Amino acid sequence: MQLGSISSTAPKISDQDSRWAALDDTAEWAAFSEPKGEVLWESRVAIEGMHCAACGFTVEKALKSVDGVVSAEVNASSGRARVLWTESKTKPSEWIRAVSEAGYQAFPQTQTDDQRRKQQRVLLWRLLVAGFCMMQVMMYAYPTYIAKPGDITQDMTGLMRWASWVLTLPVMFFSSGPFFSNALNDLKQRRISMDLPVALGILITFCVSSAGTFQPNGWWGKEVYFDSLTMFVFFLLTGRWLEARMRDRTAGALEALMRRLPSSIERQNADGSFTRVAIRRLQVGDVLRIFPGEAFPADGKIILGETTADEALLTGESRPVTKGLSADVIAGSHNLSATVNMQVEQVGATTQYAQIVALMERVSVDKPRLALLADRVAKPFLLLVLIAAAGAALLLWQTDHSRALMAAVAVLIVTCPCALSLATPAAMLSSAGALARNGVLARRLQALETIATVDTIIFDKTGTLTKDRIKIAKIDTTANISQQQALQLAASIAQYSLHPVSQALVAAWDKQEYGNVSDVREISGYGLTANSELGAIKLGSAQHCGITAQQTEAMQLHMANERGWLATFTLEEEIRTEAKSTIKTLLSHGFKVAMLSGDRASSAQAVANQLGINDVLADCTPQQKLAYMQKLQAEGQKIVMVGDGLNDGPVLAGAHVSVAMGQAVPLAQAQSDFVVQSGQLNMLLLLIVQARRTMQIVKQNLIWAAVYNAVCIPLAVLGYLPAWLAGLGMASSSLFVVLNALRLSRITPSQQELI
Amino acid sequence: MDILFLLIPLSVILVLIILGGLWWAIYTGQFEDIEAEGERILHDD
Repeated sequence: MQLGSISSTAPKISDQDSRWAALDDTAEWAAFSEPKGEVLWESRVAIEGMHCAACGFTVEKALKSVDGVVSAEVNASSGRARVLWTESKTKPSEWIRAVSEAGYQAFPQTQTDDQRRKQQRVLLWRLLVAGFCMMQVMMYAYPTYIAKPGDITQDMTGLMRWASWVLTLPVMFFSSGPFFSNALNDLKQRRISMDLPVALGILITFCVSSAGTFQPNGWWGKEVYFDSLTMFVFFLLTGRWLEARMRDRTAGALEALMRRLPSSIERQNADGSFTRVAIRRLQVGDVLRIFPGEAFPADGKIILGETTADEALLTGESRPVTKGLSADVIAGSHNLSATVNMQVEQVGATTQYAQIVALMERVSVDKPRLALLADRVAKPFLLLVLIAAAGAALLLWQTDHSRALMAAVAVLIVTCPCALSLATPAAMLSSAGALARNGVLARRLQALETIATVDTIIFDKTGTLTKDRIKIAKIDTTANISQQQALQLAASIAQYSLHPVSQALVAAWDKQEYGNVSDVREISGYGLTANSELGAIKLGSAQHCGITAQQTEAMQLHMANERGWLATFTLEEEIRTEAKSTIKTLLSHGFKVAMLSGDRASSAQAVANQLGINDVLADCTPQQKLAYMQKLQAEGQKIVMVGDGLNDGPVLAGAHVSVAMGQAVPLAQAQSDFVVQSGQLNMLLLLIVQARRTMQIVKQNLIWAAVYNAVCIPLAVLGYLPAWLAGLGMASSSLFVVLNALRLSRITPSQQELI
Repeated sequence: MDILFLLIPLSVILVLIILGGLWWAIYTGQFEDIEAEGERILHDD
């Protein structure tokens, strides 16, 4: 292969145009567009790279400049756009190219994006209705609190009560809707939750107050509590809205990672030419051309050419695997060095890739779910509250119906599970916020509870403890050439190759001046040959260089000329700089640390020795990894799994808590509880410490709520607590809980030291 | 003080109207992008 021809096989992947072509396949349109009339389509796309309103205008202008785009609306803050286009005049690839030429990236938008926005709107609307009505009801209630007897006429009081009643209706029937429907669902399934006393309290208060409004002299009594009722609903909804917003923000960040263009690949036509088609159109027997850098879209056999493939995601094998003629390739692995043709043998659900995904989905369903700490405390507590409320009503029922009912409501309101229900989510949310600012996304808030109690940490090797790259560990040379010279020469030759080992050489030389080499050829699977000042150089395996190498476990690369051996480069996987200190700290804190790897035992053991890890399981399949972990779980250990690859997916899903590294494949990220975006291992320490702090604060909050209730319930049961004081007590205890939780939004200096 | 018998019902109606306006604003996306519309005048298309 000539030098010129090597550069012609350089990654064609940067040529995005042909990939967008997959969007022009009419089968793809329905996924992100809906037809509007005969020839018009309305597409929803997500735009990346916008950071201010001005960017929005640029994108909008770029879209509108395309002939056939009827209208375009770009929202810079949410990063979304709506494009209306004519089928006959333009294609999605054309206006997506226009966006890209303006310097931004456009992707078809997923359905869940839209759904989430709708839910968020409804929740905000419920909150605003409750808040606005609350303010106005307060206005009507205020005079009765400050007036002296005789200041307000009976008629006027009646009118203001009527007005309060009217404005409470929307709060009752719209804003509190979720409380009622949740309480009803729980009752149907014979469960008890926070929503039950809330719904009951709202309902009784509303009934008593309505009766007080319309039949002031009836046996329900004449007191009204619309102000307490609306305030109570408003506080509760505020909590839920904040929680939902937080959750959406993390979900949105993850979805951005999963955004992909529909994949496409070049398929051979009957006449021998190639055209790009969507992967979902592939069939068994198709002949495909795969460029270096592309992923193999299906299981099959190589029928033309030779290449190396990266199967690390699927098998955990970190070294590139040589694929010659009629070698099997696996869907989801990457073509590394040369363009090859393959014949498809299996597509879709029958590929290994799809089977791993299926295994992962199955495991994540029977994942051990720990109940919320609050729920464990809350359930008996809620029962107690209901019994106390009933008791309070019974106690006074004989003497005074109205006093009896309001005592019951006072119990329901004063013990309002607000503080209790906020205790956990408020702390977890502010903690998750702090973590997010440090680059750790919490995908499941409850996982904070679990990770605070773990005692065993299992790491995946490739990509988690080590970097994906290979580095040069040692250079041995003959007497008449220096290490620098050897590296320069090797790098000068290697710069023409895409092989990972060549790239490691180039990286080690670090862009210093290259020597003169000519006539570089690559013999796939063996090495490179070239001409230089030192004669005809061979760079590659021992066999390729015609020398006998010593037996060693390490990966080695040799260089020789006509006269014989020149140099040997010993390669090793580059361990992340912070890995050693992180593991040391973890061990010193009493954690058990284990390492799982799909890689060869020798290289796994080498990494483990360097890091001081004793428990190593090498050479294992995803299934074996899962079995190993389940064995530990059966022994009662609480496990955090830290991984990044597709082959880690099932283990990640089955662990008590899972952490994915930032550069992990989207599928692995989707299955994990936490995503460390920066890929920094020491963030794991921060995460565990923060989780423990969070649990402390949750406990403080729960104790506070318990003490508060222990003081107030007896008072309320005996009828000494008027409803307004009950409302105030409820609000201030919630405030205490929220403020206490806010302490978590800052990372303490002692935590800073860990990272 | 009789005027209050008119003003209080009026205030209730006013609240309902304002809520209607708020509903319209949320569901037509008025709160979706708060900055861009203000800046639009500075850009010539």
